[in-house]
Amino acid sequence: MIVLWEQIVHGNALWLTGITLFEIAACLSIATIVGVFAGFLLWRYKLIGNSYEMFLAALFSSPVILAYPIFLVTFGRTSAAVIALSSIFGLIPIIINTKGAFQNVNPILLQVGASMNLTRKQMFRYILVPAVAPAIFSGFRLALTYILKSVLGLEYVAQVGGVGMWLSDAAFKFEVEEVYAGLLGTIVLSILFLYVINRAEVFIRK
Amino acid sequence: MNNTRPNATFLAARMQTPSSVQALTLVIVIAIWELIGRTGILFAELFPPMLEILQSLWRYVATPLLLPHLKASLYEVGGALAFAALTGIPLGILWGSRQSWLEIVEPLILYAAVVPKIVIFPVFILFLGIDVHSKLAVGAIAAFFPISLLTIAGMREVKKVYVDVARTAGASAYQIATHVYLPAIAGQVFTGIRLGMGAAVTGALLAETKIAKAGLGFMIVEYYGQFRIADMYSLLLFIFILAALTNWAMKALFARLSPSARATQDAGMYF
Repeated sequence: MIVLWEQIVHGNALWLTGITLFEIAACLSIATIVGVFAGFLLWRYKLIGNSYEMFLAALFSSPVILAYPIFLVTFGRTSAAVIALSSIFGLIPIIINTKGAFQNVNPILLQVGASMNLTRKQMFRYILVPAVAPAIFSGFRLALTYILKSVLGLEYVAQVGGVGMWLSDAAFKFEVEEVYAGLLGTIVLSILFLYVINRAEVFIRK
Repeated sequence: MNNTRPNATFLAARMQTPSSVQALTLVIVIAIWELIGRTGILFAELFPPMLEILQSLWRYVATPLLLPHLKASLYEVGGALAFAALTGIPLGILWGSRQSWLEIVEPLILYAAVVPKIVIFPVFILFLGIDVHSKLAVGAIAAFFPISLLTIAGMREVKKVYVDVARTAGASAYQIATHVYLPAIAGQVFTGIRLGMGAAVTGALLAETKIAKAGLGFMIVEYYGQFRIADMYSLLLFIFILAALTNWAMKALFARLSPSARATQDAGMYF
């Protein structure tokens, strides 16, 4: 804990945490924007949706993370490789949840909207969006958990980026105190993230 | 002319099924892959010809080339799963049997489950060295969480009246665990073992890619280091197929043993 504190005050722990947070934020932004749009399209075009859902499920239930060297070849040993691969892990639950959310909208709500002569835009804004938001948030929460695990894990394995790279460096140099400090930092960061997500979920559901 | 129109309509109708769209997508992806690889317009080295990948895959299946690495990985994953099941199931039953314990333990496990298990690998290297046992340990920790969490979930569903009846009949704690709890939670436990298998594969093989002397993960990084991209793709394909077959076999077996293990999802199981 002393080493961790020293790294926070005098070392570059805060800078490395900043890099990790940036990577997580980038993954989450990509996954949310692309995922919600793709999920909507898969719901809107049923044949495409039914066809590709199986591919997504297969991808989501495969050890895709082992393919990280492909991303290192494509993007180099940079944060971009971590962001590209980790975004996929966030993307899939958001797509699946978004498609499911639109599918499960109560048809009575749509009938009420139609009987009130709402335009397509009004129907989307006042009926569909509020109806699908909680389910999409569940996908978002799941995505954030996968992204967090993927980013920290890949940073450690590929030795790039922030906190994970620090841990990998310390292990490589055989600095035992720093390994424990890095591990503690990673655990604290993960737990803090989950706590924030849980609080956000409680806040949104209110 | 008149004969072609119904045929075209029939063909168009046949194309309106998910399996046709899936097949068409695969054909398009392979065509684009080959086009990029052969023309070299974009990351040519990343798109080796499909035939080369399939030949390499066949070499893995038909020759003993991968056998020592397969053995190392199977030992790690199998050991990890056995260790995780032998600790996760009894602890899950113990924690799930009392509400007061559950209130203390469950939030801790849920928070610990979010931490990527691969980051504990350097600590295991310090204690167990760079041989197979450090990877087995990472796989075991990774598999422990789904197994124990699903055992707890199963315990929550056990009706209290079953336990009360067993207690009234004079059953011991061990008898209640083996004759009441275990049959009632079998479906959830089997699902936990299957998801645990996925976590153990990812944990152990990812650790192999970091530092190892043998294993399928080790070979991925070896091929990456030698820039043998076709061999790397085919090895990844080999791992994916092996993982899917194992998952399918476990699913079929567990569905036969316990019908409640049938209706479960695989989402994110390799995490």
